[in-house]
Amino acid sequence: MPDDKDREKHEIFEELRADPRYHDFVRGCLNCGVCTGWCPSHRFFDYAPRIVIQNCLAGEDRVYGMMGEYIWACAQCFSCAMVCPFNNNPGGVVAILREIAVRRGMMSAKRVLKPYSRVLLKVMTFGNQVSPDMIQPDFFPDWGPKIPWAQEDLELKRQAIPVPTLRTVESAWKVAESTMNELYTINKEAGIFDLVEVNDPGLAEVIEDDVQDKVAAYLAEEAKKE
Amino acid sequence: MITDLARMRVPSRKAPGKKPFPFHEELLELGEKGEVIVIPIKEENRPVEVECLDGRKKRIPTNKLWHHKSCGQCGNIPGYPASIMWFMNRFGLEYLDETNQTSCTAWNYHGSGTSNVLALAAVASRNFHRAYETGYYPLIHCGTSFGNYKEMRNLLVEHKELRDEVRKIMHKLGRELVLPEEIVHYSEWLHVMRHDIAKLRTQDVSQVVTTVHPACHTWKMIPEDYIYDTDVYGGRRPAPTTSVLLALGAQVADYSTWNDCCGFGFRHILTEREFSRSFAVNRKIKPMVEEAHSDVCVTQDTGCTTTLDKCQWIGRAHGMKYELPVMADVQFAALACGADPFKLVQLVWHTAEWRPLLEKMGIDWRKYEGEYKEYLEKLRSGAQPESLYELKVE
Repeated sequence: MPDDKDREKHEIFEELRADPRYHDFVRGCLNCGVCTGWCPSHRFFDYAPRIVIQNCLAGEDRVYGMMGEYIWACAQCFSCAMVCPFNNNPGGVVAILREIAVRRGMMSAKRVLKPYSRVLLKVMTFGNQVSPDMIQPDFFPDWGPKIPWAQEDLELKRQAIPVPTLRTVESAWKVAESTMNELYTINKEAGIFDLVEVNDPGLAEVIEDDVQDKVAAYLAEEAKKE
Repeated sequence: MITDLARMRVPSRKAPGKKPFPFHEELLELGEKGEVIVIPIKEENRPVEVECLDGRKKRIPTNKLWHHKSCGQCGNIPGYPASIMWFMNRFGLEYLDETNQTSCTAWNYHGSGTSNVLALAAVASRNFHRAYETGYYPLIHCGTSFGNYKEMRNLLVEHKELRDEVRKIMHKLGRELVLPEEIVHYSEWLHVMRHDIAKLRTQDVSQVVTTVHPACHTWKMIPEDYIYDTDVYGGRRPAPTTSVLLALGAQVADYSTWNDCCGFGFRHILTEREFSRSFAVNRKIKPMVEEAHSDVCVTQDTGCTTTLDKCQWIGRAHGMKYELPVMADVQFAALACGADPFKLVQLVWHTAEWRPLLEKMGIDWRKYEGEYKEYLEKLRSGAQPESLYELKVE
């Protein structure tokens, strides 16, 4: 009888191989290491795109071994894919494995997503991923003394931008409520809210409440127009 | 021998070992079958034909464009999109910038894995349908959106199941499955407009040494769908960005790590910046300064501009006191063509010191700074801001 860990290993490997991109991404490997030579993450982490492909070819045990911190080291630049003489795409494999880790609520995903919650909150509630009011000095002290300047009188400085859609601080550009409502529908239909729920129920609740409020306000506005 | 090699022209180019997916023919075929609505490039878009990596001809629309904005550009490099629109105004070109656009959400996907192909493809189709219904052709500002949309287009063309799933979502939105005939990055627009841009030049930039950082998601993701030109590095490197600098008469200096990524890493820049700043300073800024003696690092994407600019200051902790200004190609071009560095190019948001560069370009930054400060005070007193266009609100 396979134990839970064996079952998980097997399922993860099957989920990886069932992804329609997998057979485009893993085609064979000469072990030449050109991908690793181009890899930025390899210079600073215990990570190599050559190993990613070798592990896929070796089977479920080795793939399972990457589901911790390993897959989160990749910078997703796709230098590896650009240079591979076999047309492999190790960065693409990592993207699939990260999806699997998130979908299954694995510990590595939860750990990685925790400090990432601000971005998730922005993208799911405002329709874009970074906003002027996120660049706070206490969060980016290593970016130097000009960051506090930028945050001072932020609203006024954003008003001075000659692109009218950019005169906002809570989002990168003003996103129409109808458009946010569409993004909400896409995320709902594609199961993205479920992914957040599995990994960070508290965040999921905040997002859901915020989005529901915005949708309700939008629908009320639409009803008034009719 | 080395000089001969460097000067050699490459008649046909290809990514090593890559067999490009013939998306264009298959996309048009799907369009004819009614499987997908294809946004055509029309005469009114005034297309210019160029060559891609594998020699395929790609038409770049130059007029009547729908601005698909970038989260990071709009969020913290606002002079980036402003410079694109400023050039369009200078050329009298038609465009539409509006609030009915969502993020492509790919930064989130590559950073956190909290998305999937269905959502990414549906977002792509949603934004393309919006552009389609306005009658404007989408121009993608962000390198990551550009790479992601190229990937989603290929997946949608290849996989009927995905098309069916996305179409279902589109119908819930009251939309259809739409893909443009070509997915076009603003740097490609800048490339085909470079000679017209050069005619607007007001500043002598011949003494300015530039170093180019080509963005990974423009030329490494779906590499066959990006412009190469035998006049730029003999066709061995991506043409956009370098080409506009050459057209303006600036010096473009080579450096050993030109092909490295910037260190952005999507999640690293936000939550593991030890990597981003170490990589950016050691692998990019240091060679640009020490090997190439660069006056400015010129970029073509959102994350790279942010990473290379913002990561320099912390280098002081290790005695690496670099101050290499970082800006997008279109911002540099706007400066060379007389744009206001404060009100238009919005260099105030950039971190690494850029004033010495402006002096080298013959730009009196003190005058512009004074005017900017006065402008802020006027706005504070309730004056209406100056705009590149009038926003249409539905």
